[in-house]
Amino acid sequence: MAKNDPIPQPIKPSMSLAEKLTSLPKFYLYIILIFFSSAPLFINVTVPNKPLESSIDLYATLMSVKPGETVLVASDWTNSTRGESWGQFNSVMRILMRRGVNVVLYSTGDAQAPRVAQDSIAKLNKERLAKGEPEYKRWENFVSVGFFSSGEAATNGMATNVKATFAGRKDFAPGRGLTDVYESPILKGREKIENFPLLIVITGSKTSNITVERLSGKVPIAFTVTGVMGPETGNFYQSGQIVGFASGLKGLYDLEGLMENGVNVPGKDGQIVIKSEKYPKIDGFPGQPNAGQGSRYYPTLHFAVALLILAVIIGNVGMFLARKGAK
Amino acid sequence: MNLILQSKTVNFWAQPYGSSTLWAYLFGALIFGILVFVGLMFMPAQFRRPVVAFCTFIAGAYWVLLYAWPAPIDLQPNELPQGPVEGVGAWLKDANPVVVGMTGIITAFMLGLGIFSLLSIHLRKIRRQQRDWPFSVVLLVSMVAMVSFGYADYFSRQGPDGTKLDLQANWGLANYGRDLLFDGLLQQMDAAMFSVIAFYILSAAYRAFRIRSVEATILLSTALLVMLSLMGAVAYISEQTINGLVSSTGNDFFLNFTLTEVAGWVRRTFETSSLRGIAFGVGIGALAMGLRIWLSLEKSGGNA
Repeated sequence: MAKNDPIPQPIKPSMSLAEKLTSLPKFYLYIILIFFSSAPLFINVTVPNKPLESSIDLYATLMSVKPGETVLVASDWTNSTRGESWGQFNSVMRILMRRGVNVVLYSTGDAQAPRVAQDSIAKLNKERLAKGEPEYKRWENFVSVGFFSSGEAATNGMATNVKATFAGRKDFAPGRGLTDVYESPILKGREKIENFPLLIVITGSKTSNITVERLSGKVPIAFTVTGVMGPETGNFYQSGQIVGFASGLKGLYDLEGLMENGVNVPGKDGQIVIKSEKYPKIDGFPGQPNAGQGSRYYPTLHFAVALLILAVIIGNVGMFLARKGAK
Repeated sequence: MNLILQSKTVNFWAQPYGSSTLWAYLFGALIFGILVFVGLMFMPAQFRRPVVAFCTFIAGAYWVLLYAWPAPIDLQPNELPQGPVEGVGAWLKDANPVVVGMTGIITAFMLGLGIFSLLSIHLRKIRRQQRDWPFSVVLLVSMVAMVSFGYADYFSRQGPDGTKLDLQANWGLANYGRDLLFDGLLQQMDAAMFSVIAFYILSAAYRAFRIRSVEATILLSTALLVMLSLMGAVAYISEQTINGLVSSTGNDFFLNFTLTEVAGWVRRTFETSSLRGIAFGVGIGALAMGLRIWLSLEKSGGNA
């Protein structure tokens, strides 16, 4: 062999289909995921949907609270789960705001949660003002009680006496600055948990379990939870410990659809879009800004789940072909 | 203390504002607290364990008694309890807000402990210029900036016009600074960290979710069924197909086989019962662990 001759390289055997299918590089998988989850955000698609019974129950419960009543909202989410929780919070608050229901916000889940909730209300207020609707005012329509560092103890205290548990908590009263929350008109005469018509927990953590353990049977409880928490929350719903819940993006999309179409309400073509044998007619809010995060992200969920299923199928087909080849 | 001062109901735990009994309680609690603190500081290490065990038992005993002791039924605030059983029940119930407040305060102390620990570790790292010390600088600067703007925003809202700052049009530098750091940076990074999970799930689904046994096949089929039921478009197509089948055969029985119905059946029967079983198991485990901690039988937490 001459000195300058190229060194012969071993010939690489070409990869079989099975090998190719079982060894897709991570990089390409991630690129496909990014594409699949981003592309639907730029396309306006209305996905057909049939709301779950739990979502209809949640909507019916929210719509049954009388205007002027005060409900408790445990806002136990931060932006780590905002893909689901933010939209759920907005939908629940939109319904309560439109119906003139007052809200007492508190949190046992995360120290950041009260601030996140207040910022979200500020954004909803901006939307309301832009539409010429009245502002949902702090103190007169809602108060923020703040964060309780020990969720177990605070929820336990609420079971005994809400006023004593909220004692010393202050919020901003117009013209007075920080004032004891119990001086707000919306908390007048509501000392016990039984005095509230509803407790809604918007959570991405285990605070839902604590709430059921401590407050079930004392006040009607409704949840909006992340998709991961859906199955365990289903337990409480089936046992009747909670009156309704929306789980994950599907639950949020259900809620937005219910807000647009109502229940057993005939549409423009005379057809009822969302039917339920359990309830009589429950009005929606047609034409108002109901579509939010759920409508925006639901197609993305479709593509992401489809990709997940495809990935499982490809991996398994590759494995079967490899086994067959080995035999 | 705020709890005691603000309570309108007079009982053992809430004496009238400015009364001599309240001052006596406060003074007594202060002296007791100082004595305990000093005592613990000078106590030999081997005697600390019984003290910690005693305090743990008393703290746990309150919650146990609150549940186990018969609670007074419909006892009004101006009514005296009848007999010792109702008396103890009322006493325990009255103590609840105070104990809740104390628990909250003790839990909040962990924040102070966390800040102290963070400062001592990272300041030492910076002082000695250990590996990656610039990251420690970034961490401390971020913490100081967040706390400073957070408090500046909080104080700007203290006045009578504080509620006006709920609208962005009325914001000042402190409010914009807080919004940029909290909403613009921290919260976005928080969401970004969480979204990374999607990549792990996809990678795991591709590499690990393999049909190697009958059990794995059942698991995979069920998972696919439930996942498909979450896709409204797929569920809709399935329903339309079944409806077509029903109208062509005239047999309503097929309606039980829409994707939503089958997935709902899986959820209602298998999923919830399994999860309930797991929850019971976890509950029994937590009860056993709770008993061990309450009675100070658990030694794995280190020496007091």
